[in-house]
Amino acid sequence: MSLKFGILGLLAEQPLHAYSVKARFEDLLGGSWEVNIGQVYTTLQRLERDGLVEAAEPRGDRGRLPYRLTEVGRKALQTWLAEPESEPQQLREAIYLKLLLAARVADGELPSLLARQRRVYLQRLKDLAALEEKARSAGREDLVLLYQGALLHTEADLKWVDACAQATKLGRGKR
Amino acid sequence: MTTLVELSSVSKSYDGASRQAALDGVSLAIERGEFTAIMGPSGSGKSTLLNLIAGIDRPNGGRVRVAGEDLGGFSEARLARFRRARLGFVFQFFNLLGNLTVLENVLLPAQLQGIRPASARARAMRLLDELDIAELAEHYPARLSGGQQQRVAIARALINQPLLLLADEPTGALDTHTGGQVMELIARLNREGQTVLLVTHDAKLATRHAGRVVTLIDGRVDDDTRLEGASPLPGTMVKVRIQEEER
Repeated sequence: MSLKFGILGLLAEQPLHAYSVKARFEDLLGGSWEVNIGQVYTTLQRLERDGLVEAAEPRGDRGRLPYRLTEVGRKALQTWLAEPESEPQQLREAIYLKLLLAARVADGELPSLLARQRRVYLQRLKDLAALEEKARSAGREDLVLLYQGALLHTEADLKWVDACAQATKLGRGKR
Repeated sequence: MTTLVELSSVSKSYDGASRQAALDGVSLAIERGEFTAIMGPSGSGKSTLLNLIAGIDRPNGGRVRVAGEDLGGFSEARLARFRRARLGFVFQFFNLLGNLTVLENVLLPAQLQGIRPASARARAMRLLDELDIAELAEHYPARLSGGQQQRVAIARALINQPLLLLADEPTGALDTHTGGQVMELIARLNREGQTVLLVTHDAKLATRHAGRVVTLIDGRVDDDTRLEGASPLPGTMVKVRIQEEER
C-alpha cells in the first residue's frame, strides 16, 4: 500500500497536519500499522513539491501546517483508486525461504517445521476471527473486510503447508 | 475435566477391492465441556470417526468408550438406546421429517426415549424459544429457510439433553451469514457446558469456535492442536504494508 495515496485519501476528506494524518491513518487501519511520523513529513513535502497537496492556511501553533488536496492531487487519487492492483504476488514471510532452504539443507527437519508452522496458522485463524468479531462489534465494517482478507490469506497459507507436507511425505519437494 | 469420549487404537476398514483402512490406529480422548473440531480432507476418516463414536459403526480393532461405557459390548438395540439418550446429531442436510411439524420433529426423540409428553413438550418449547424459532412450532419444515431448519435440527438434537453434540458439516448447506449464526449458536451451547464435536473440512470454521483442532490424514491423527483463546492485539496479527515513496 502506498503512503502517498494513503495521505491523499485522508486529505480528500479534510485538511490535516502531519500528526493528524498519522493518527487518522492508525485509526483507519485499526492499529494494524504504526505510522512513522518522519515518513509522513517527508511524503507530505514531496506531495507539495509535486503539486498534489498545498498548505491550507498559514503555519499554525507550534509550527503545525495543515495541508489540503489540490485538484491535481484529487485527480491522481481518483485514478489510483479506480485502478486494480497488478503488482507481483509478494511472498514475504520467512517461511517461504525456510522451506526452500530446509528442503536442501536439513531434509529430515522439514516435516516437523511444517507441522509447527501449521499450528501457528491455526492459532492465527482463531486470533483473526476474534479481531474480526471485535471490529464487527465496534461497527467497523471496513476493518471486518480487512480481517476477512487476512483470514483468507491465512487459510491459503494453511492449505499450502498441507500441500508441502503431502509432497514431502511422497518424497517430492526437492529440487 | 473428565474424559467423555475415549478411542484407543481404533481401526476401521470397509470391504472393497483395496480394503484400505478408513481409520488406522486412532487414539483420542475428548473431555467433557470441550469444543473439538475434527478436520481433514475428504476420505481422511472424519465421518468414520464420527460414526464409531456414535455407535453407528463398529471398529475392526481397538476400543471406543463414551461416558465410561465400552460400546463394543453393546447390542444393536442397546446402541440405539444409547444414541437416543446420550447423543445429539446435527447434519449438513438437517434430516427433518417433512410430514411432521417443527414441534413434532423436535419431540420425536423424546417420545422414543419415553419422556412424559407434558415435560417433553415444555422442554421442546423452551428450546425453540432459546433458538428464536418458537413462532414456527406448528409450521412444516418445507416452509422454513435453511437456517431455520438447521435450528430445528439443533433443538431436536438437544431435546434429550445429550452428553455429546455431534455436528457433521452443520453449515455445509447454508450461506455464509446463516452458517455463521448457526455456528454462533453451537458455540453458545458449548459456553453453557455442552460438549461439542464438530466435523468440518473448513479451517476457518474449525478455529473460530473450537478450542481444539484434531486433523486426520489417511485415517490417522496427523495433528492435535489446542488453541489459545486470548484476545490478540491488532498490530501483532496484521500489518498493512505501507511503502514510502522512493522519489
